[in-house]
Amino acid sequence: MTLSNFLRRTTSIPQNSTLNFSSPQIKLSPSPFETQIPNFHKPTFHYNSLGFLRFSGERSWCSKSAEKLQSSSRCWNCDAFPTASESAAPFLFCESCQCIQPVDYSIDYFQIFGLEKKYDIEDKNLEGKYKDWQKKLHPDLVHSKSQKERDFAAEQSARVIDAYRTLRTPLSRGIYMLKLDGVEVDEEKTISDPDLLAEIMEIREEVEEATNSETLNYILSQMQEKMKNWSTTFADAFQSQNFEEAKTSIQRMTYYSRVMEEVVKKL
Amino acid sequence: MAEPAYTVASDSETTGEEKSSTFPEIAIGIDIGTSQCSVAVWNGSQVELLKNTRNQKIMRSYVTFKEDIPSGGVSSQLLHEHDLLSGATIFNMKRLIGRVDTDPVVHASKNLPFLVQTLDIGVRPFIAALVNNVWRSTTPEEVLAIFLVELRAMAEAQLKRPIRNVVLTVPVSFSRFQLTRVERACAMAGLHVLRLMPEPTAVALLYGQHQQQASHDNTDSGSEKVALIFNMGAGYCDVAVTATAGGVSQIKALAGCTIGGEDLLQNMMSHLLPDSQSLFKNHGVKEIKSMGLLRVAMQDAIHRLSSETNVQVDVDLGDGLKICKVVDREEFEEVNKNLFEKCESLIIQCLQDAKVEVEDVSDVIIVGGCSFIPKVKNLVTNIFKGKEPYKGINPLEAAVCGAAVEGAVASGINDPFGNLDLLTIQATTLAIGIRANGNNLVPLIPRNTTMPARKDVVFTTTHDNQTEALILVYEGEGKKVEENQLLGYFKITGIPTAPKGVPEINVCMDIDAANVLRVLAGVVMPGSRQPAIPVMEVRMPTVDDGHGWCAEALNRTYGATLDLVTLQKKA
Repeated sequence: MTLSNFLRRTTSIPQNSTLNFSSPQIKLSPSPFETQIPNFHKPTFHYNSLGFLRFSGERSWCSKSAEKLQSSSRCWNCDAFPTASESAAPFLFCESCQCIQPVDYSIDYFQIFGLEKKYDIEDKNLEGKYKDWQKKLHPDLVHSKSQKERDFAAEQSARVIDAYRTLRTPLSRGIYMLKLDGVEVDEEKTISDPDLLAEIMEIREEVEEATNSETLNYILSQMQEKMKNWSTTFADAFQSQNFEEAKTSIQRMTYYSRVMEEVVKKL
Repeated sequence: MAEPAYTVASDSETTGEEKSSTFPEIAIGIDIGTSQCSVAVWNGSQVELLKNTRNQKIMRSYVTFKEDIPSGGVSSQLLHEHDLLSGATIFNMKRLIGRVDTDPVVHASKNLPFLVQTLDIGVRPFIAALVNNVWRSTTPEEVLAIFLVELRAMAEAQLKRPIRNVVLTVPVSFSRFQLTRVERACAMAGLHVLRLMPEPTAVALLYGQHQQQASHDNTDSGSEKVALIFNMGAGYCDVAVTATAGGVSQIKALAGCTIGGEDLLQNMMSHLLPDSQSLFKNHGVKEIKSMGLLRVAMQDAIHRLSSETNVQVDVDLGDGLKICKVVDREEFEEVNKNLFEKCESLIIQCLQDAKVEVEDVSDVIIVGGCSFIPKVKNLVTNIFKGKEPYKGINPLEAAVCGAAVEGAVASGINDPFGNLDLLTIQATTLAIGIRANGNNLVPLIPRNTTMPARKDVVFTTTHDNQTEALILVYEGEGKKVEENQLLGYFKITGIPTAPKGVPEINVCMDIDAANVLRVLAGVVMPGSRQPAIPVMEVRMPTVDDGHGWCAEALNRTYGATLDLVTLQKKA
């Protein structure tokens, strides 16, 4: 276990990293998705800044789990149970007392948006649902409330942002789904598949030699096509629980999305 | 040169507690521009701009130093524009604030009609006003503070209540260090900054309010609208892409640079008087007057070129130096070609960062003083294939109105008609990271990350038995640390002795919704479940002026002995 498990409020988003065209060895970017431990109480950080430095000696790392478990079923503030309409949705916010609930890490990103855990989320209104949550959870809206609830707001809001960003693009959504099933995609793994290596070399040359926007746009559309195909492959592999195949698809998709970023930069 | 912990922050926190007991004070919105400024407040049902005793809603941003009492553009009665150019008047402070004397923007400010001296050593420039033939030194913070005091007095007189909380608009390209300078100026003026809002995001909030009101009137609610906001004032150029629905505006991307009307003006001055640099090298009374005259004449010409295709410039700079020339609009556009191209690329970059296509943009909003320049309007509309700019937002009042709305929302004011049922979800403007892997900046939070945000990366030691490590926090987009702004540094000590690469040094960055940055660092040894040393949490920025020096001195003293590298996951 690393310290990040203690410090972590939210899962990380894959970081933008550039494709290193000059390096002979091609590595996929690190995507530091950390394992979330369900029902593990994360210490909340108090934002009283009476100075710059504050040691966290008095912070209890894992002593509040009991309080946490309780609050996942009842409102911590008014002790109400979620209402009928709420019980269908995840309980992040109590309608009875208009109060933000502590983060419950057993609620996954799909559940936050009331979605079935499926790769093809046809739901066009992800952004709308995300904004609905933010209207209830955003720290800007709870200025006048207690420090405790403001901390909950900061954590909940950040988690919903991560959930939205993760589910929005197929690639990060795929990685997240594998993760929920306990499959880690090691994106730093050096590519060993000779076919993919050959393909990468070829695309790399193409991009390097491309001088006009026509060629670049052509490469871009090619990448989009490949992305689509591998996305389908992933969906099928995931459906049939073929995680090796799913991982390979993710690896390919990561690579193509990187090329697309590079091309867009060059355009 | 790390600053003691007394800054504005701790000051603000205590007053936050005080006010919660009473009726919430509505924070006022202030837009301090490079050349002009304004104040607005939510009056209970709508935004109202406050006027000074001369019935002006928009005032000039300057401070004149006379004898003992300085006076600013809010209160003083300017008899003639030229009084502004006697050497005693300081302006353009927003361009100078938080910059060191090696900054090209400071160098470009040397032809202002007061003293801006640079010695190129990485400290704050020497800025001074000429009072009774003596140079009276000042700082941009001080000038800003004097000005804010006047704005505050004006607002207090009109609203008949003490003013403490403010929302200020700032350029997108301001570094966190520059933001602390603005906060410092506010603290000097007795004001508590509730929020510093990037200018185009204030406009985005106002646009969100408009859309919300429109959806109340129509049945067409809930549909998301993407808008691009282009804001170009006298000092800065900012771009934002916002997606708004149901009163919630998500800032998708921000881009900004130090380009504004001031640059257009300077280009025109050196175009009409190519040897102005050498002519005005000495800042004597005569030279200051000439520079001032030239500035006023050019300003006037540029303003007129917005409505006329050519203008006559006729100015006597004294000492037999006269400029008598007809300038046409094409000439003006040609002279400033590079600047306009930069503006275009800024818009394109912002669209790319937002992952938004030109076709997806429902509204294009052009605001700021430069929005009246035909070329500026054209370059924006050309990118959007001739789309008519959004109407219904006053280009000079948009930012301050947005700040006033934010002031009301952030003060927890409710509006029975739902006009404050708004939320702006902000994004970071510059990447933040730490120095690692040699002289590289390893970004933890990239730019355009939605706030609140928290990210962490695991680093490790570079030497065997390394017990201390230096965490140097930088902000910027450069790959090498020296291309970026140092925000602060601290040392973690007590790392258990181990071969290099073993201790896991977790660095975590946290930005809350109010854009407060905290850096946390802790150490875990493999196999252990507990942190090896207490986690250290530091609020940034911590550095004062002369940050370049700090970095150099640290490097000289410690070399690579306290370095870090990113920890590679083992296969």
